[in-house]
Amino acid sequence: MYMQGLANFIDDFLGGLILISYALVVGSMLWSAFILRIWSSGFAAHESIVCRAVGLLRAGAVALAITQGLKLIIKAVVLASVLGEFPADAYMGTLQFQAGLIRFLLSLGLILVASQLLRTPHKPFSWNLAAILSIPLVIAGAWLVHGVGRFENREQLMTMTVLHQFAAAVWFGGVAQLLSLWHMSRQSQEAKALWPIAITRFALLGVSSVVVLLLTGLPLAWTYVGNWDGLFGTGYGSLVVTKVILLMVALSFAYLNHRAGRLWLRQRQTEGLDRKVPHYIEAETFILVGVLFIAATLSSQPPSVDIKELSATVSEVAEMFTPRMPRLTSPTHEQLLAGEPGRVAVVDKIPSPAATEWSDYNHNVSGVFLTLMGLIAMFSYIRRFEWARYWPLGFVGLSIFLFFRSDAETWPLGPIGFWESTFGNGEVFQHRIATLLAFALGVMEMRARTNRHADQLRYLFPILCAFGGVLLLTHAHAEFELKSEYLIQSTHTAMGLLAVIMASGRWLELRLAETDGSYGGYLDGKIAGFVSILAMFLIGNILLFYREPLF
Amino acid sequence: MHQPIVFRSNKFVLLLFSICLLLAYGERLWAHAVVTESSLTQNPIQANHATTVVLFFNSNVELPLSRVFLVSKGDIYHPVQIEKGKKQGEMRIQVPALAPGEYALKYKVFAADGHFTENVIRFHVSEPR
Repeated sequence: MYMQGLANFIDDFLGGLILISYALVVGSMLWSAFILRIWSSGFAAHESIVCRAVGLLRAGAVALAITQGLKLIIKAVVLASVLGEFPADAYMGTLQFQAGLIRFLLSLGLILVASQLLRTPHKPFSWNLAAILSIPLVIAGAWLVHGVGRFENREQLMTMTVLHQFAAAVWFGGVAQLLSLWHMSRQSQEAKALWPIAITRFALLGVSSVVVLLLTGLPLAWTYVGNWDGLFGTGYGSLVVTKVILLMVALSFAYLNHRAGRLWLRQRQTEGLDRKVPHYIEAETFILVGVLFIAATLSSQPPSVDIKELSATVSEVAEMFTPRMPRLTSPTHEQLLAGEPGRVAVVDKIPSPAATEWSDYNHNVSGVFLTLMGLIAMFSYIRRFEWARYWPLGFVGLSIFLFFRSDAETWPLGPIGFWESTFGNGEVFQHRIATLLAFALGVMEMRARTNRHADQLRYLFPILCAFGGVLLLTHAHAEFELKSEYLIQSTHTAMGLLAVIMASGRWLELRLAETDGSYGGYLDGKIAGFVSILAMFLIGNILLFYREPLF
Repeated sequence: MHQPIVFRSNKFVLLLFSICLLLAYGERLWAHAVVTESSLTQNPIQANHATTVVLFFNSNVELPLSRVFLVSKGDIYHPVQIEKGKKQGEMRIQVPALAPGEYALKYKVFAADGHFTENVIRFHVSEPR
């Protein structure tokens, strides 16, 4: 069961990685065509710049081959684990396997062509070959999406989803190429000269991809979501809402970049382009990674239109977020253990109020920690509250709380020994590691915030927040009790969204506020940092008022 | 070992730590293919009569890669035969004659879009009149 859980999780996570890899390949091709203009007669991009773009294209192809290949293997592992046997013929006969295999082989082909292009970047034949391989790579995606299993409008839904994915890939791949060009421009004059031009050229490509995203996304959402209850009362709908919110944040960054590009076109002002825009693009990348993972998660959710009678009402969802007295008393271990056999039974299942109260208490007390940390962190922005910089110590307190409360059956409070529980059960192992890391992160972030020389440590926090946010978003799923699970999921999806915002805000703060303040970046950075802390405070609030439905 | 009492806020802990990505993740299940209609709601199973239960899924299902179990009291699993119905998304399940009591059908189905779903349909078999 442990292996099955792990394989399932990796399989799901691979979906997001595949989309990112795919976006790097497709986006790099479009970047080469429209920004570097490799097919134009007056093709003039410097060889080193083309090689850089091809390098990213090849990296994307390598990542796609690895992730797609792994997906085929992991899916087989899941099948063998769930079924207790491996029906190889039946598996290889599925459209999923065949389309996945085609993508894998095409990725291998692209790796070879990209390697050739690195040696001879101006060879038109190789570029044409890369384009020829990319087209079926995009089309193969049609058999890997929700639409393929539908009974109605199957072909239209498959086509629409492929176009939607393509547009997202152009955007993300282009943003990744922009970042790569900016890094290169710090050492290369050619890249430095191309940087403002690339920003302005990419605006058109970016706007086009957003238009296609909307034109395909709206009918897809209409088909799969159906109505307002479906949008706010199901896991699928809530992920669509989250995706839209994150897209709007990403679009705001894109607008800032576009504005800086226009300023350069009109007045040849490069300050914003050189100093702010790269960091906006980094933050945009955080957001877009979140969007791609949500897109991957959507494919493992039942569409809202199929579970109308299992949807939660808007008021039930609102109830999950309504402020109330936090539960600060917990049931005893004995009460908890007494309810467990009934709670986990398939037949004669009896919901356990003690388990629900136990969980509420854990969430609410964690919320107390986070809310207090958020409040103290806000004070840290006022000079005379220097002591408030030590707010990350709250993570240490939280880790101690988690250590005692995460697994009630195990040491130190339960009857099962430390080593036996840690290495005998995956979930307990996960909790132990998480507890240890909460402690370590608290210590490290405190050092990062109080020690000016701890440069490397500073970036750990936003990176882990982004990662954690993505995990919360991709973890969104429905099990046996769709409605109850969704109500729980709605809070975790909201926290995932806030975590991604928290990550990009802190990242921007570090990049803008802690550098030269002469161009207005300092204030922008501090605002972003405060938004980040506000997001943490809101996460704390969600946990503070959390109430689990009894199921 | 019993299933541990889960600290259900572990997702919150995940928020903080990437390493959990590589570690255990409990009994994670998808639920993409869902049952949209079941014959059990219209025609409850009669005691001591073999029955064909018909389920309709929202998505095409790969039957050779799917399994259904009858779960009886004490969570004892018995595999049951399944076959494709005539309509789209239809699955026919051969349920043997059952004594009155509480039961469940646990299905593990592989949807055409590549997602596995495990779920449970609980039902009651009444005393014969």
